[in-house]
Amino acid sequence: MEDILSLKESFLKELRSAVSLSELQQLRVKYLGKKGFVTSKLKTLSTISPELRPAYGRAVNEVKSYIADEIKKRESLLKKEEHKRRVLSEAIDITLPGKFTPFGREHPINKILSEIIGIFVSMGFEVEEGPEVELDYYNFEALNMPKDHPARDMQDTFYISDDVVLRTHTSPVQIRVMEKKKPPLKIIAPGKVYRCDADISHTPMFHQVEGFMVDTDIAFSDLKGVLESFIHSIFSVETPVRFRPSFFPFTEPSAEVDIGCTFCSGKGCRICKSTGWLEILGAGMINPRVFEMVGYDHELYTGFAFGMGVERLTMLKYSIDDIRLFFENDMRFLKQF
Amino acid sequence: MRVPYDWLKEFVDINATPAEVAERLTMLGFEVETMESLKDDTIFEINVTPNRPDCLSILGIAREVSVAFKVPLRIPACDIKGELPLSDFSVEILNHELCNRYAGRVIKDVKISDSPEWIETRLEKCGIRSINNVVDITNYVLLEFGHPLHAFDADTINGRKIRVGTPDSIKFQVPNSKFQIIKIKTLDGVEREIAGDSLLIWDAVNPIAIAGVMGGLETEVNDFTRNIFLESAYFEPFSVRRTSKRLNFMSESSYRFERGADIELLEKALNRAALMIKEIAGGTIHEIIDVYPVKYITEPVEIKYERINRILGTELSNADMLEILKRLGIIAEDKEDFFIVYPPAYRRDIKRDSDVAEEIARSYGYDRIPSRIPRSPLSLGRLNKKMTNTILIREAMRKAGFTEVINYSFMSPSSLDMITIPEADKRRNVIVINNPLRQEESLLRTTLIPALIENFKYNIDRGIKDIRFFEMSKVFEDIGKPLPLEELRLGGIFYRDKTPSLWKEDTQGFFITKGVLESMFKELKTDEYSFSPSSELFLHKGQACNIYVAGSYVGYLGVLSPEIVERLDLKKQRPEIVVFELNLDLLLTLIPDSIKYTQIPKYPYVERDIAIIVDETLSASEIKEIIKTFPSELIEEVSIFDSYKGGNIPEGKKSLAFNIRYRSKDRTLRDDEVEGLHASLVDFIIEKTGGYLRR
Repeated sequence: MEDILSLKESFLKELRSAVSLSELQQLRVKYLGKKGFVTSKLKTLSTISPELRPAYGRAVNEVKSYIADEIKKRESLLKKEEHKRRVLSEAIDITLPGKFTPFGREHPINKILSEIIGIFVSMGFEVEEGPEVELDYYNFEALNMPKDHPARDMQDTFYISDDVVLRTHTSPVQIRVMEKKKPPLKIIAPGKVYRCDADISHTPMFHQVEGFMVDTDIAFSDLKGVLESFIHSIFSVETPVRFRPSFFPFTEPSAEVDIGCTFCSGKGCRICKSTGWLEILGAGMINPRVFEMVGYDHELYTGFAFGMGVERLTMLKYSIDDIRLFFENDMRFLKQF
Repeated sequence: MRVPYDWLKEFVDINATPAEVAERLTMLGFEVETMESLKDDTIFEINVTPNRPDCLSILGIAREVSVAFKVPLRIPACDIKGELPLSDFSVEILNHELCNRYAGRVIKDVKISDSPEWIETRLEKCGIRSINNVVDITNYVLLEFGHPLHAFDADTINGRKIRVGTPDSIKFQVPNSKFQIIKIKTLDGVEREIAGDSLLIWDAVNPIAIAGVMGGLETEVNDFTRNIFLESAYFEPFSVRRTSKRLNFMSESSYRFERGADIELLEKALNRAALMIKEIAGGTIHEIIDVYPVKYITEPVEIKYERINRILGTELSNADMLEILKRLGIIAEDKEDFFIVYPPAYRRDIKRDSDVAEEIARSYGYDRIPSRIPRSPLSLGRLNKKMTNTILIREAMRKAGFTEVINYSFMSPSSLDMITIPEADKRRNVIVINNPLRQEESLLRTTLIPALIENFKYNIDRGIKDIRFFEMSKVFEDIGKPLPLEELRLGGIFYRDKTPSLWKEDTQGFFITKGVLESMFKELKTDEYSFSPSSELFLHKGQACNIYVAGSYVGYLGVLSPEIVERLDLKKQRPEIVVFELNLDLLLTLIPDSIKYTQIPKYPYVERDIAIIVDETLSASEIKEIIKTFPSELIEEVSIFDSYKGGNIPEGKKSLAFNIRYRSKDRTLRDDEVEGLHASLVDFIIEKTGGYLRR
């Protein structure tokens, strides 16, 4: 029995000096391997007298499991230490910048355009589009602006031929949709429009969103309600809104819609020409003449329409003071949105 | 329209501050754009909309002010009483349809001199230059009453006769008269050619004025004038506008006539001017000549009271409506359920119910009309499918690091030459703008590339090092129809500065951009895309490809050719600039409508590699296609992982390495089975490509 005790002791001594996982592995082979000390002790079991055999066998097995446990404990300790060393040696400078191609930016006009579209879609409007090169008929005549009508002076038109123009507004989409579909209609039509004008507040191309709603019981009140909701959504619920009479050949009554100046909060400044108000859209009840042009019963149906300039809204939202920046496409401008 | 407050006060008794007046006018539909303070006066700059020519005058604005402040309107007395000498002039209107009324007075023995200071000052405040007392008075009355007048030197008029007619009618009047182009020298000294259907004023022999637009030089009132003929007429708006547009000339007078003058007011205006001339320049006023062949007939408008409330969403009583109209000076007759409106001659814009509704609404106050959310049934708001997909593409590009640009739809005539587009190319079928702002913006673009190259150049010149731009816009192609073909395109440009950076990235720009497009196609749920060499002349011959989706050509991608890059005059040597352009309208018809789930594989795959040396002309995709023809259903995927030239690879050859993934749908593949299959695939590839294995 002493040999078993001394076996245990010599193991403990060696265990203490095993400082690496490979030394520990050698130790495991030396004691517990096929030809290891413990195994060979078990093999000598048959040479021991039968009466001592059970006790001896129990003792060997106890030592065996003791050694196995100790090795395991030691192993997990050594592993922990080794991980620690490895982690330390693999430390990186986490302040170095990450590697990823930064996302590109959405053009500010399209950003606001998406926002506008989103608000109207949430109010149940559908989106339609129309051509940018348009027949004079759709751009003017069907909108109650016959040739030789002074209202045409309100818009400087690019002509392709006598009968074909670059659309000066998105309103022709009204006609195109109404020719195809019957009321009820709730439509918005975003897109590019063109006017021959260029200075700090005009570019020959810009974006508009047209909207209109036609049904049997649509009143000027509805126009006010819808546009106020829109303005409160795109600016803020505190934004003051006012409707004032104006003139568009295709709406009657017509209105221009102002918001309290976003630059001076209505106190009066250079931007709002000291009025405290900024005009942001034109609107009105669809002129019965327009319904006649598309063959709607103008006694039965009423409707409203509105149009807004996206550049103008974008400039107000981001305090941009020169419209030309939108089309210069300077990265230092674009990356801000 | 410039309106001095001081002048306005002659028509209405009002003590409000200029700011109050401006506010009320604005809310009545007469937007006061600016207010200018002068010594003891304020000038309102008022935006008068084209439907309200009656307000292109002090009187008209005063009428609105009287409504706004509920004060009476004072109109100066313009009666000429007593017996006057008869005029020795005669007036004849040849074109009644273009001139409904023509009146005039002769005033003899006037003294032409400078105007009194008060007239000069008022004209000046309104932006009109003083000429002489008589001419100034016609302008004064034009501003005051809004009715244009014209004074002729009576002694220069041949035959003491005024004829109103177009050259065509005058010709008709004188049979066998020789056809000749009619020319007239106008007050500004310019000789103008007149179209046959433009209305002119003639004496017995010559044209002496362009009706409603400008007087002739021959008959002008100047220092030597002693007797004058004063004209006050009504010319048809469209005719005046047509003439003024043709001559490309607009005057205070034509501006008013083309919007519509007040045919009933013209006598008052004539008398007002005559009286002022008598008082200031002296002379004897003669009896009026008034030829009025087409009388103004008011067109009554019948409206149901309920209709007004239906249009406005208000709950106005019948009495409310009648009261408002009365204040506006519009006669309205109550008929129980409905009422009849008789618009005055100066309100020819009131034609139907909606016009009356607007009158009522603006006087009542737009701000007092209640707001409400439409009472229509709930409806589904939505984007159309195309828009949903373009949003997806825009997002995909953005996430790939591309920033969106928007360029004008215009291009320069030299743009297509710059990128060497051949003469017979479709992109040469351009739409031309008749009246461009600049020659460089006179065409509608047929490709997005030139503008993208300009965006690149603009930014690189400003020190921007990494440029990834995309644009989603329409191009326009003349297809011989009234309207061009409009096609939505996606264009892009890629450039990366090769200066050292922290993290190495040595993939060619071409492949980065190609990867972006491939990834975008996958985002659009299509795997059916392929590439083949492109022959676009502006692209690098060896680094450009056409792109096909579901077998259709949708666009191209490639490196700009060295020739084009050289023209850009960049500081960098041989920069790699990648561009692409896709037809989105077409692409979006080629992608699947819906997503369909396929089952996740149940059994594991086995991978094998093959490295083969082939002629360098053979492309990777050609070998891939060959592998696809190998008769086995167990090949799941083929991917290329190496392409190599040089080193120990012989000249004219290249090494390509593929990874083959084998998988069965219904069982786990055995190793020996895959070994056998792979060996025969290798033999198959060698046989088909004429290549050999790389050892």
